[in-house]
Amino acid sequence: MKRVTIDPITRLEGHGKIEIFLNDDGSVEDVYFQIPELRGFEKFVEGRPIEEVPRIVTRICGV
Amino acid sequence: MRKLRLASYWASACGGCDVAILDTNEHILDIAAVADIVFWPVAVDFKYSDVEAYDDRSIDVCLFHGAVRNSENEHLARLLRQKSEVLVAFGSCAVSGGIPALANFKRREDILNRVYRESPSTENPESVLPQPHFTAGDITLDLPDFYRRVYALDDIVPVDYYLPGCPPTPERIWEVFEVIVSGQLPPAGSTVGVADHSLCHECSRVKKEKKVKTFYRPHEIIPDRENCLLEQGLICLGPVTRGGCGARCIAANMACRGCYGPMPGIIDQGAKFISTLGSIIDEDRVEDAGAVIDRIVDPAGTFFRFSMAKSLLKGARQP
Ligand code: SF4
Ligand code: SF4
Repeated sequence: MKRVTIDPITRLEGHGKIEIFLNDDGSVEDVYFQIPELRGFEKFVEGRPIEEVPRIVTRICGV
Repeated sequence: MRKLRLASYWASACGGCDVAILDTNEHILDIAAVADIVFWPVAVDFKYSDVEAYDDRSIDVCLFHGAVRNSENEHLARLLRQKSEVLVAFGSCAVSGGIPALANFKRREDILNRVYRESPSTENPESVLPQPHFTAGDITLDLPDFYRRVYALDDIVPVDYYLPGCPPTPERIWEVFEVIVSGQLPPAGSTVGVADHSLCHECSRVKKEKKVKTFYRPHEIIPDRENCLLEQGLICLGPVTRGGCGARCIAANMACRGCYGPMPGIIDQGAKFISTLGSIIDEDRVEDAGAVIDRIVDPAGTFFRFSMAKSLLKGARQP
């Protein structure tokens, strides 16, 4: 099986990777879209005062 | 003159640093006149394989944003160090961990569980977590390894210059570009795009005496726009933070959270603020001073808002 890797995907915010697998006739057999990043805002805002959250989650995406 | 070969990369970042570069507005044309962009994922379509094919040190200047959170970030930090003549830690995340390093207060397992299993908007009936390797038939896929904590760029590779800020202001970025283009580079290891004085020094508010009887949360007080916020009882990291941003949060009547990093000579910005508190709390008895301190809701997450990866403790103790 032939493998085509697009890494990174560009011109958007964030990290992404696409893996395309072609079968013997060259048609697409499988495609995987991967997001190889995690920061974990869902967890680390816990314990922060509510009034600080807007100053933290604005850094989820600055684009 | 040969054009500079310029790279800009985001590791564990939000893209705000990239946008701050674009916010130099028409100066972006001046940058394009003197520099060829050879890698910049937010704006141009170069792949990691292109960078791998570059000669070592063939990138003149690499602006590296973002902290090092996983093995892919580390790989790119090492790759770009190898390919670049000058490596700049650009923005608070690369300089000192920034907001992503607030995760250093949490355990790796708890982060993964919260995000992929417990969060109300996640559907994950088989309760799977991302795996570094995944196999389906003869297909193998890889994901980066999520580290136990967040690192600053210079924990991983040597860094030539530091440009702090979350994000650095476009004015400071342009000044740094002018220095790069002039070729008159400051000594390696310098922090650039900053002032040598504290944020308080460039804050235009009236400062009388830094003595505080109690601290407030924002909903408990309407701060006036004339007087020092700290003297009004709002936690402001101005005294321990380096100037350079133009006191932009203060202008919005919000206290500083320290994104421009510590004053020169301060090793640990948050610890220094703790010692600042010791001198401004206007109580003589230990219990009374303690009662004032108790009014601060989240001291660690506030004093170390942008600097946890570079603090002496690096993170909370993880059992
Ligand atoms: S503590 Fe904050 S508000 Fe007060 S002078 Fe310093 S920067 Fe300005
Ligand atoms: S006031 Fe403080 S938190 Fe706001 S931009 Fe300036 S250094 Fe950063």
